[in-house]
Amino acid sequence: MMDYVDLVFLMMGITAVISVSFTFLAVKTKDLMHAVIFSSVQSIAYALVYFLLMAPDIVLVYVAVSVGIYPLILILVVKRVGRFEVTA
Amino acid sequence: MDIELVKFMFILTVMSLYLNFAITLYGVVAKVNLVKKLIALTILQDTVNVFTVLIGYRLWRPGLILQPPALTDMNPTPEIIKDFVERSVDPLPQAFVLTAIVIGLAVTLFLTTIVLHVNYHFKTVNVDEIGGMKRRYIHEEAV
Repeated sequence: MMDYVDLVFLMMGITAVISVSFTFLAVKTKDLMHAVIFSSVQSIAYALVYFLLMAPDIVLVYVAVSVGIYPLILILVVKRVGRFEVTA
Repeated sequence: MDIELVKFMFILTVMSLYLNFAITLYGVVAKVNLVKKLIALTILQDTVNVFTVLIGYRLWRPGLILQPPALTDMNPTPEIIKDFVERSVDPLPQAFVLTAIVIGLAVTLFLTTIVLHVNYHFKTVNVDEIGGMKRRYIHEEAV
């Protein structure tokens, strides 16, 4: 027996767990291009959390900044400094 | 509305945010690559923003009408305003977060230019190697 409120909170919890796994992958991986993509996916999860927390005006700004502009500038930096993280 | 499920999922959300905070703080402190530090810093910033929005959130209660919380009466009486305030979320943290996202974009662009200048000078972004190079330069200057 599921109604609307249950569904909202179920989506919020599952999305938060997905965002934790992608944050872990973004910090863990050695390939910087993969790290940029993982952080972008994590930002999509946070955008859904913002929407479920009744803040749809933030989603309008957050998606454009965090899925559009951050990966753009980070990919430009990664192309300049080298793709793979070298451990000494 | 299953109140146990709702409580569990809400606590799961808050715990996931704390876990994100911990993982990205570890990334900022312990990773040696400057670009990796920058990526972790952006995620840390977003986590703090989600916490700020969570302050003003009002929990859904049974019996709420599912419609946008907006005043439709042109001349509202105090009872209508009281009813409206009881079912809407707090908009003040949302306005703060909207500003903080844009300021965070500017800060990230500034840090990006710093990383590019460091890469131009030292030909690497590994902080251990940069520390070793600086120590060697200072030693040569002294000798």
